[in-house]
Amino acid sequence: MGAILAAPLDEADLIRTAQRGDQDAFEKLVRTYDQSVLRLAMNLLRSPDEARDVYQEAFLKVYRNLHSFRFDCSFHTWLYRIVTNVCLDHLRRRKVRKEESTVVETPDGPVDQAARLTEEGPSGNPERQAWNRELSEGIRTALDALTPRERTVFELRHYEGMRLRAIGEILGTTEEAAKNCLFRATQKMRASLETFA
Amino acid sequence: MKCAEIIDQFSFYSYGEVSSELEERIESHLAECAACRLEFARHQAFMDSLDQRGELNEGALLISCRADLRRRLTAQPAGSQRWTGLLASLRDFSHFHIPLRVPVGAMALLALGWFGARYTPEKFGGMRAGLAQPMFSNVQSIQQGDSGKVQIAVDEVQRRVVTGDLTEPRIQQLLLDAVRDESNPGVRVESIGALKNSAESEEVRRALIDAVSHDPNAGVRLKALEGLKPYAGDPSVRKTLANVLLKDENPGVRVQAIDLLTTHHDDSIVGVLQDVMQKEDDGYIRARARNLLETMKASVGTY
Repeated sequence: MGAILAAPLDEADLIRTAQRGDQDAFEKLVRTYDQSVLRLAMNLLRSPDEARDVYQEAFLKVYRNLHSFRFDCSFHTWLYRIVTNVCLDHLRRRKVRKEESTVVETPDGPVDQAARLTEEGPSGNPERQAWNRELSEGIRTALDALTPRERTVFELRHYEGMRLRAIGEILGTTEEAAKNCLFRATQKMRASLETFA
Repeated sequence: MKCAEIIDQFSFYSYGEVSSELEERIESHLAECAACRLEFARHQAFMDSLDQRGELNEGALLISCRADLRRRLTAQPAGSQRWTGLLASLRDFSHFHIPLRVPVGAMALLALGWFGARYTPEKFGGMRAGLAQPMFSNVQSIQQGDSGKVQIAVDEVQRRVVTGDLTEPRIQQLLLDAVRDESNPGVRVESIGALKNSAESEEVRRALIDAVSHDPNAGVRLKALEGLKPYAGDPSVRKTLANVLLKDENPGVRVQAIDLLTTHHDDSIVGVLQDVMQKEDDGYIRARARNLLETMKASVGTY
């Protein structure tokens, strides 16, 4: 039985099997997408704790509602609709709280916790590292200044490489609305990063 | 179309989100309008600069997220997905044809055993999640014989752990194979990381040069560049670095390439640096090339 389970399954079969309550199939579905889900949450929220919450909340929602998935859109779209809604809720709550969730005060001054998680780049000269750090900080500040919706659209288009049509589907809006949102986000980002041009 | 309208379309054009008709109009406008060409170059530089945000490494977090999720799924009340699944399995099972001559008691025992194994929690010896198993199998063909037996051809991959010193040829060979594993960039990064201190070997250096030139993953290319650092004076390495500097699409990789290339000042890089001044969008790389050309008392442009 293990051998048969280990054979590659078509995603639709996997979903149907998971819908019948098969834990293994559900776990396989999770593992197909969870790394990109976590990366999206991390990049949108820049907070490991919040990203962890999004991961749990989103996949538990998927688990509880998988029976209602009717294949009228791709599973990827359905999943990302859930994930982006959970992320948007977090971003909106953060705006209300007006918190800088990733920046903590330390005796040495404010430290961005998310920046600590950034992959260590190759060793290079200090001048370049300083330039990169400054630019990286500028980008994060510019992204933080966007509205939650603009931020999400920009993240999905620029960093995740999704098509505007798919983004519209995920956010339950039209391609045109997603396009307008991207336009506003790009204009704001460019204005914020003018000093690095 | 007016210049302002064209400029408004730049981000969609860069993302390939415009119709082919609009794309043609933008391109023909750019071919004729120097001001818009300049503006587009600025836009592209802005887009490239966004790659400097820094990728977050979610690896360790992912493992703990998966463990938490598994715990929370196990704690889900019956009646959610698992209970629905059990009912569905029972429903499916009732569709099976049961020959009357098979004793009903034996079938009941079989069913009890199957469901017992399937739904007993892991701590009581129940079935482990499939993905944790070390063996992967794939059914390649199925043949039904006259006797009612079925012949199934199964490809099986058994995982085993190989331990050894980095200098051992069999370990190096495994790592060199892993560098070429197209399906897994993580494995390629790790194997290059392990090999990078063995670049005195011609074969390892060739593998690093190959990875720098052809690997589709920028992280792997960067790791391979690190390994080539002590050999930045080697002519074949320098040739590769010059190519990367002029052609690699990732600004981070180009930055690393110019840093390595300029650890040795020789006249052969002047032409490359002048090319950089003409073609490069990244402000840091251009500034670095300019500084070096000035240091070497070479002209910044080609005439």
